[in-house]
Amino acid sequence: MHPDLSFDQAPPVSVPYRFFLTAPWFGVAAGLLLVIQGGDALVSRWTPQALMLTHLLTVGFMLQAMVGALFQFIPVAAGGNVWQANRLASLVHPVLAVAAVLLVLAFPSSTPALFHAAAGLFAIALGSYGLIVGIALWRTPAQGATILTLRVALFGLMVTATLGVVLAIGLGLQKSLDLFEWTNVHAAWGLGGWALMLIAGVSYFVVPMFQLTPKYPAWLTRTLPWAMLAVLCLWSSQLIGDGFVWLRGRIWLMGLLVATTWGVVTLRLQFRRRRKVPDITLTFFRGGMLSLVALFISALLFEVNPNWGTHPRADVWLGVLILQGVFVSVINGMLYKIMPFLNWLHLQRLCGLTVVPPNMKKMIPDVSMFWQMRLHFSALALMLCSVVWPILTRPAGALFALSCAWMGVNLLIGVKSYRQFKVQILASGAGSES
Amino acid sequence: MSRVIDGRDLQPPEPLELTLAALDTLPDGEELKLLLYCQPHPLYQILKRNGYVWRDEMHPDGTNEIHIRKA
Repeated sequence: MHPDLSFDQAPPVSVPYRFFLTAPWFGVAAGLLLVIQGGDALVSRWTPQALMLTHLLTVGFMLQAMVGALFQFIPVAAGGNVWQANRLASLVHPVLAVAAVLLVLAFPSSTPALFHAAAGLFAIALGSYGLIVGIALWRTPAQGATILTLRVALFGLMVTATLGVVLAIGLGLQKSLDLFEWTNVHAAWGLGGWALMLIAGVSYFVVPMFQLTPKYPAWLTRTLPWAMLAVLCLWSSQLIGDGFVWLRGRIWLMGLLVATTWGVVTLRLQFRRRRKVPDITLTFFRGGMLSLVALFISALLFEVNPNWGTHPRADVWLGVLILQGVFVSVINGMLYKIMPFLNWLHLQRLCGLTVVPPNMKKMIPDVSMFWQMRLHFSALALMLCSVVWPILTRPAGALFALSCAWMGVNLLIGVKSYRQFKVQILASGAGSES
Repeated sequence: MSRVIDGRDLQPPEPLELTLAALDTLPDGEELKLLLYCQPHPLYQILKRNGYVWRDEMHPDGTNEIHIRKA
């Protein structure tokens, strides 16, 4: 049995949709940046262009989509009540978008004012979001592995934001922080503590429910958040001294092993699904999980063979697999399921029993999502090739920008369908606006 | 006699769509049986709003057997 969905406290669709509609355009910006900069952008993870790209994807694409999804997920799946969700979204959405743009612009110019402004805005947006969503997650009567995983995810977001704000302030003041260590810890909490925990927590619902798989095994759902927290705490010890330098490679691999375990279990569940019908979200998810496995194997090979591992482009290879391979794939796939489903549920609420709402498949054309998915995976393959052959960076960036723009257009079509059907239902006299 | 909808291997919201279509033609006094692997809260809210009553029974394999009729 998969967990239950409740719909009593769901916020209006405009709350999550504003985030969903913004996210892809940060991906477009990342692709265009690669088109402009070419192969030089990816010579190492430390170039200003690579830092811009990373943050366009993390605090632009990923953060927008994930913050928006949590607004919807907490009331619907976790039974939590997000206080003043509409007002909070109206604050958090624009402030996060502006903060992301300022931060991205700060890297090439190293302008202190831009770093400070971005840090201040992130502190306001994520501080208020963390407080209110944290209270909702704390007070919810619901229990279980998903709630625990979401709490760990939110804690991970807060740690990431705190470290990020300190880094941005330090960069702005040009203080000599241990930049390498602080960035490593910041990135690990962001990717492992926040992003991975969030998609894992959401997957406990979405995968069994929509992909008709058996439920996730209890040993995994109970262990995953604690194992990830333990690894992240060990990894963070590099901030207080060099005592564990010799262990860093192993801690990093342990973290990846924890993440990959979830990925392999997800692949196994998908293999055992009860009804083997083609599904775009499922394929996106599979692509994401296979990228996770490829990431673990790559990291293992880099650890075993230091000649490969110490090459500056090795980190870029891992970065492409993590960001574009795992997170963009999974988020892209989830949005294609979440948006039509929310459209349908909200329209159904409007219809009552007298009128049947339009089929969920009519919200975004299948063929358009299918070809965008092919473009996404082609862009991923080309981006990985461009790490080895930098001449391919511009076409890879162009494909990625095109794929994200197409995703953005598909999501806009989803919103347009919702509005059209809503007008039709209201015009038929069947529904009443609540 | 009751009509049965087995929604266990259907993707949401298909079970809900089939149930609502079946309720449209459900005669008074007859029961609709719905089989799912979950508690369909959105359906319960619709039933509550539209004058239906239901009882559910959980089986060891995780199947939730829901019996719906007009109040």
